[in-house]
Amino acid sequence: MSMVRANGLSLHVEQLAPPDAVAGTVSGVHGAAPTAVLIHGMALDTLASWYLTLAHPLAATGLRVIMYDLRGHGHSERPPEGYTLDDFVDDLAALLAALDVTGPVHLLGNSFGGTIAFGYATRYPERVAAIVAVESSPPIAAWFERVVQQLHGAATYLPREDALTEIRAERGEWASRRARLAREVLAATSLARDLPTSRLPSEERIAAIRCPVLWVYGGDSAVVELAPDVRRLLPEARIVTVSGQKHTLLVDQPSTVRDIVLSWLRQECGVHPRRPDTARLGGRDGQDQRSAPETIH
Amino acid sequence: MQVNEASILADITEMLQAILGDDAVDGEITMATRFQDDLAMESIDVISLAGRLQVRYGDRVNFAQLIAGFDLESVRQLRVGQLVEHIVAALDGADASPGKAGTPA
Repeated sequence: MSMVRANGLSLHVEQLAPPDAVAGTVSGVHGAAPTAVLIHGMALDTLASWYLTLAHPLAATGLRVIMYDLRGHGHSERPPEGYTLDDFVDDLAALLAALDVTGPVHLLGNSFGGTIAFGYATRYPERVAAIVAVESSPPIAAWFERVVQQLHGAATYLPREDALTEIRAERGEWASRRARLAREVLAATSLARDLPTSRLPSEERIAAIRCPVLWVYGGDSAVVELAPDVRRLLPEARIVTVSGQKHTLLVDQPSTVRDIVLSWLRQECGVHPRRPDTARLGGRDGQDQRSAPETIH
Repeated sequence: MQVNEASILADITEMLQAILGDDAVDGEITMATRFQDDLAMESIDVISLAGRLQVRYGDRVNFAQLIAGFDLESVRQLRVGQLVEHIVAALDGADASPGKAGTPA
């Protein structure tokens, strides 16, 4: 773990190096290794969701893997203000500069993390090699309306005294703890006020993104309703829907998501798992069933 | 071995104080201390600790190997002793070969 100074903030960063034999790294220098940056979701998420799911399988394919806690989240610094899309994109750009990442990166985003990836790609298209977005959308008005509605709902409901007890009773301990994290972030920051004021890129800029793009959705998630917009803006992108899954697809079905992502990276980006034995790290075998059928568009 | 365990425990105690704050670490950290039940740690806290230990012990210890079998909930059920034993076994092991997948940079 390390704290990295970027864009005036102290950001919590975890990195995984690829196996030396695969990446050709010498004395800890990552010159040759292509880089993947894993971006988590808004308010109730941290880099832990990636660390415990896809981070190690991606490292085993020869990628240098970088994860960070977004500003205000996890162990990163929590400034009271500054939570528009541009602020998150500025943080990412500054972080990569601070880590001396110069070549194009593979960006993987969960939920709003995917939106940040696309915000970055509209501003720095030449710096992005590929985008994988799980349960996400590009920064378009329809998506921001949903996110803002959710944030406002949470900001109103969560401070209530009995809110966490209710959530625990209805949805269990894990949901309750995630809600507590969101409550802390929303109470201490202007996130819910700032995000609606975000400057969104034009649809032309989004449609101009040329790198390979993979979308992974849960079939029972409300977010999949945005897939037609995604297809309209990025007709070349691959869209995979995992039936029966909800918005927490990444942490609920890590093996399924891993197989979809690694297969796509192999086909579209020439990223090959060099050590099949270690490629299985990161998800508990048998934890999630591969029974969930996928629909590929 | 006792010396190893004691020094590793001291390292972990110092790191936990840095991660959680002195107030959260109430009492002595022992091999039996549980991250979830005794320290109310979240998964991100456990990963942060593993990351610090990786920086401290480097490629000789593969925390990816230890953490890989856990998910967001179960990783909180780890005990301090499991981390210590993993580190001791790795440092004792003759095989400190570099190049294992997923060793943090």
